[in-house]
Amino acid sequence: MPELDTDAARLTLKLVYYGPAQGGKTTNLTALHDQLAPQLKGEMMTLETQGDRTLFFDLLPLGFRAPSGLLVKARLFTVPGQVAHDSTRKAVLSRADGIVFVADSQLTQETNNAESFQNLADNCGRVGIDFGRVPLVVQFNKRDLPAIVGEDEVRARWAAARWPLFFSSALHGRGVVETYRALLEAVYRQYDAEYELGTRHGLDAAAFVAGLAG
Amino acid sequence: MNAAFDRELALAELLPPALLARLAANLAQLLDVPLALLDAGEKPLWGETGPADTRHPLVLELEPLGYLATAADPQRAAAAVRLLVEVLMTRRRYQMASMLHTEVVAADHAEMQRMDAQLATSEQRQRQVFQTEKLASVAQLAAGVAHEINNPVGFVRSNLNTLGNYLAKIALLHERLAQAEAAWNDLDLEFVIEDGTDLIRDCVSGLDRVARIVADLKGFSNVDRPEESIVDINEGLRAACAVIETGKPPGVQLILDAGELPAILCLPGHINQVFLNVLTNARQAVGEHGTIRIESRLGQDGAGTQQVVVCIRDDGPGIPPDVLPRVFDPFFTTRDVGQGTGLGLTVARDIVQVHGGRLDIESPAGQGTLVTIRLPA
Repeated sequence: MPELDTDAARLTLKLVYYGPAQGGKTTNLTALHDQLAPQLKGEMMTLETQGDRTLFFDLLPLGFRAPSGLLVKARLFTVPGQVAHDSTRKAVLSRADGIVFVADSQLTQETNNAESFQNLADNCGRVGIDFGRVPLVVQFNKRDLPAIVGEDEVRARWAAARWPLFFSSALHGRGVVETYRALLEAVYRQYDAEYELGTRHGLDAAAFVAGLAG
Repeated sequence: MNAAFDRELALAELLPPALLARLAANLAQLLDVPLALLDAGEKPLWGETGPADTRHPLVLELEPLGYLATAADPQRAAAAVRLLVEVLMTRRRYQMASMLHTEVVAADHAEMQRMDAQLATSEQRQRQVFQTEKLASVAQLAAGVAHEINNPVGFVRSNLNTLGNYLAKIALLHERLAQAEAAWNDLDLEFVIEDGTDLIRDCVSGLDRVARIVADLKGFSNVDRPEESIVDINEGLRAACAVIETGKPPGVQLILDAGELPAILCLPGHINQVFLNVLTNARQAVGEHGTIRIESRLGQDGAGTQQVVVCIRDDGPGIPPDVLPRVFDPFFTTRDVGQGTGLGLTVARDIVQVHGGRLDIESPAGQGTLVTIRLPA
């Protein structure tokens, strides 16, 4: 659940980038850091070791002040994608308010994508996140590579799923902001009523997205 | 306290007092003017603020988590803030990683404890099942023993009564010693001596039987040697046969063909249980009439290693093909409720496997059932 600190007039959202190892989760955050210009943008904190593989997590803080004076903060995390780090992945996923699933479009990665998505569903259950309700956006990354699953095929496969689907090339900064904005829209829909974003803080969906994306 | 790794850390948490004091003292030295460090609520953590001080925010994420208050030249103060923020970032990386690590280790540990408890429960259940089966076979054994002991005890008792009467007659002879010859014939003492000798011989043989049954029982349950020991498997076969012999219908024949075997290292009580379980099945399979053939011999496995082979064959109706694959399943039984636990073969196979051996069942249609037990010699 988003963390509302009424004394400090601050609402903190935790958004988690999930997906198979080396699918481009960290690259998504780097691209967002470069492209977004919200009111407040913190430094990106990375904890990568073992030759640019994420061992713990990355963190990018973004924020803006609503007309009501409420500071809305989004803290973007990435999980370590490697299968072996499941306990860490679970801990980072805990308390997530929204999730981007970054799939690797390469033909060789289809099994890894499926396993990672199943792992996301399982881990949501283990850390008490309602997988059926949590705002989730699916992104197929690495569209710039040659041997990838075709867009039509991906769309056909995900046609029955209820989550927004995006195609990206995070390395070249394409599709990353669109994915993030779609997640913000879903997050707004989910928490608007409960946190009175529209009624009390003067934030409609467009203002909320614009505030956190800039 | 919220121990989550992703909570935001206050200045005092990022810089413990000793480190804070060292940093601030060195910064003051560099700036050449006094300075103070304040937390997010502008409460001083180190140094004292003066009226001429400017408050420079220390921003790590989006909001200031503290202030550097100093009257130093703005450019120098800005450099000091940048230096402090660098230190704070390093500290934050380290602390978040270590808190995450702690969280993960605690979660893993909790999970391991849960699995450990689960394993302990399942082991305990297995032991209970094993114990139940063992108790059931001991009860069966006791019933057989009771039945068998009753016979010799019955006739020993009756013989002793008769012998008592005979003694009374001999006592009467004492009174009539004068008419010895006539009394001897009158009291029929010729017969008394003849029959008395028979009775005593019967009683001795009856008592021998009682002693043998008790010895079988001891040998079977192995009360006097519960540990692994080197034994002749044929002894166990004989003990189990003796138990089965007691309760079987007269139409059932038990033929033991014990071959020459080397003594092997095993848990004799458990191995005897295997034989008893398999023999009990065979006896029940043949019903009122049939033959159970037990054969033991020294054989070789595929690799040429010596092994003890015990074949137990009955000429009963055999096991239907749809039942055969399930006979080792725990709690699977075709018998009526209360007649079998469905564990006999499960336990038997487990015991044989623990000894590094194999237990196989064949039941070709209409040819009875053959159970082969192989144990490494």
